[in-house]
Amino acid sequence: MTQSPTLSRRSTPSAPPLPRKSRQRGADARAGYTFLLPWLLGFIALTVGPMISSLYLSFTNYNLFDPPKWIGLDNYTAMFQDERFLQSVGVTVGYVVFGTPLKLAAALAVAMLLNSARKGQGFYRSAFYAPSLIGASVSIAIVWKAMFGDSGPVDQGLSFFGINLGGWVGNPSMTMPMFILLTVWQFGAPMVIFLAGLKQIPADLYEAASMDGAGPVRKFFNITWPMLSPVVFFNLLMETIHAFQIFSSAYIISNGEGGPAGSTLFYTLYLYLRGFSDFRMGYASAMAWLLLIVVGLITLVIFRTSKSWVHYSGDAK
Amino acid sequence: MIDRRKFLTTVALGTASAAVLAACGAPAPAQTGSAENPVTINYTWWGNDDRAERTRKAIALFEEKNKDIKVNGNFTDFAGYWQKRATEAAGGGLPDVMQFDLSYMRDYGQRNQLLDLGTVKINTDAFDKSLLPSGQIRGKTYGIPTSTNAFAVYYDPAKLASLGIAEPDGTWNYDEFNKFLAEVGAKGNGALFGGTDYTGVWWMFNVWLRQNNIEAFTEDGKLGFTKDDLKKWWNLTADLRGTPALVSEERVTQLAPKSPFGSNVTGTEVTWDNFMAGYLADSGAKELKLVPVPSDDKDNLGLFLKPSMLMAASAKTKNKDAAARFIDFMVNDPEVGQIFKTSRGVPASKTQRDGTTFEGTDKLVVDYEKSIEKYLKDAPEPPIVGFGTLEASFKRVASDMNYGKLTVDGAADAWFKEAEDLIKQNA
Repeated sequence: MTQSPTLSRRSTPSAPPLPRKSRQRGADARAGYTFLLPWLLGFIALTVGPMISSLYLSFTNYNLFDPPKWIGLDNYTAMFQDERFLQSVGVTVGYVVFGTPLKLAAALAVAMLLNSARKGQGFYRSAFYAPSLIGASVSIAIVWKAMFGDSGPVDQGLSFFGINLGGWVGNPSMTMPMFILLTVWQFGAPMVIFLAGLKQIPADLYEAASMDGAGPVRKFFNITWPMLSPVVFFNLLMETIHAFQIFSSAYIISNGEGGPAGSTLFYTLYLYLRGFSDFRMGYASAMAWLLLIVVGLITLVIFRTSKSWVHYSGDAK
Repeated sequence: MIDRRKFLTTVALGTASAAVLAACGAPAPAQTGSAENPVTINYTWWGNDDRAERTRKAIALFEEKNKDIKVNGNFTDFAGYWQKRATEAAGGGLPDVMQFDLSYMRDYGQRNQLLDLGTVKINTDAFDKSLLPSGQIRGKTYGIPTSTNAFAVYYDPAKLASLGIAEPDGTWNYDEFNKFLAEVGAKGNGALFGGTDYTGVWWMFNVWLRQNNIEAFTEDGKLGFTKDDLKKWWNLTADLRGTPALVSEERVTQLAPKSPFGSNVTGTEVTWDNFMAGYLADSGAKELKLVPVPSDDKDNLGLFLKPSMLMAASAKTKNKDAAARFIDFMVNDPEVGQIFKTSRGVPASKTQRDGTTFEGTDKLVVDYEKSIEKYLKDAPEPPIVGFGTLEASFKRVASDMNYGKLTVDGAADAWFKEAEDLIKQNA
């Protein structure tokens, strides 16, 4: 390697190489941190700071007006006697448990369809990805509400086939399917990642399998699934965490109340109502921390189980 | 999803720009302004586009008459309104002047967020003395009522006529009223229901309590009624639930935020009389009429005039004098009455009321309040701290009951548990 003239002029051959390198590293580090500074300041001031104060507030009876008073673990113990809280946990868990696997299945299915070489594939990929760009927006929630309302397109379409469910929005047993459909429809982000994963699987594996007479089902379970398992693992993790945070669509579709009959009272919505409608910010902070802890634990559990079903290239198996 | 970073960035930017704006705005000792160098006060209210337009006119008129004050107006809908005020109060940045609701009077007044309007110059000579206590807490005045409203039963005469039902005269007990709802529902044949479940409305419950000589809250901020009272109230319509007399809760939810009555789904509605303009616009009906609510005691209708809204000022305002002059103008000036008519309710100040010409539907509302004058009792004091939450949970629990998720007893248990928890929390 040739050194630049400037550098060689500055560094004398007699100087020991080690300090020079570390000086350089020091300068690099300084530059690095300088570039990082705007983000770092923002992170400390806007994320770490509020998180610490919310941790403190979760042990107080803070009501937005009066100075917070320390009440120890009262907020945390009160939650488990709060029926609305338990209801919100039930609603959220149902949503995560049913919505996330369905969404991933849809994403994988579409990714496999879009993986084959076909004319206009780029267009289809964009088209299928589009919903997830706009899916979390306020306008989509409003459209969704209108679509599933009384004599909305969904109601009319089903009536055509003789299924008379009426509007879904006002029916407590139909709101959850509606929200699951909304999340499944936004499969774009995991789909793109699946697609990238599918492209990494060597084609000769499939060729060899075909030679041995394996059908498409066999190929999927013996080649695609194991080869794709790290990607499945990543998507499962991200989508589970994401699902716990559902808020804006629930807020808009239920007019910020979590109705009908509490069927859309998602955890984050109840947290928000507790804080900003009931002025119980301490309680809301405690809920936020409990959510963080639970999501953390679930992530940990998924990580632990991953050893038995995720295969990385180079693994013995 | 709540994006914490985005949320906080917005807050930070908002605060920063507010600080900058404040710095370029009013000069430091901003007690008095002049025509060349006017002071600016912020005013915020809830409402729709119609009220926004009327308010804009009123502000323009005020600025014309008071060259030394500029009013910076801002509005949202009712639900979002209180969430915004809560965050502002936490940050110590409530607007100088605010439109206020009785439900939240104590939350803010008792917690020293509002200016004692007794310490500034606002003329209340033209107000009915029984109305002013609704803005007062422990001898301090935190709100001045702009206007009044009262409970009433609405109906559409044309719809009743087409079903061959005689118009009610408003002298009815609960039994007769229920029969009336059932008749409308039966003849409406699925296209028109009798009404919404009136027992789900807190204020109607309050009216019923007063008909039975019970006050909803005690002086020391506790509940003034028992669980049995509440059960009795919710049992009043027990036989009607699930029949065409009452519109189903599914429909009510589907139609929200519009009301079933405004959507032409029910023949009657029990609510505040100043909703007239909104119902007319929503339903497209040619004419709507108002009659008194039912009562089992012919001489005690339990009715009262409630301030439909109040004007309040922030305890931290730097422009007390300007804020007071603006409030005085908004509640007393006859020209303001002429701008708002009955869209805020019937003007509370006699000066303003007499200076306004009421025609058409506005006249109906004013006439209704005149017709019930002899039954009126004192306006209720501001309810307890956290009342806004209780009112919302009353509606929610009643809705769960109408969905069949809760029995009357279960609903009463659920509501009492929440109420007692809240009262303990705020004690």
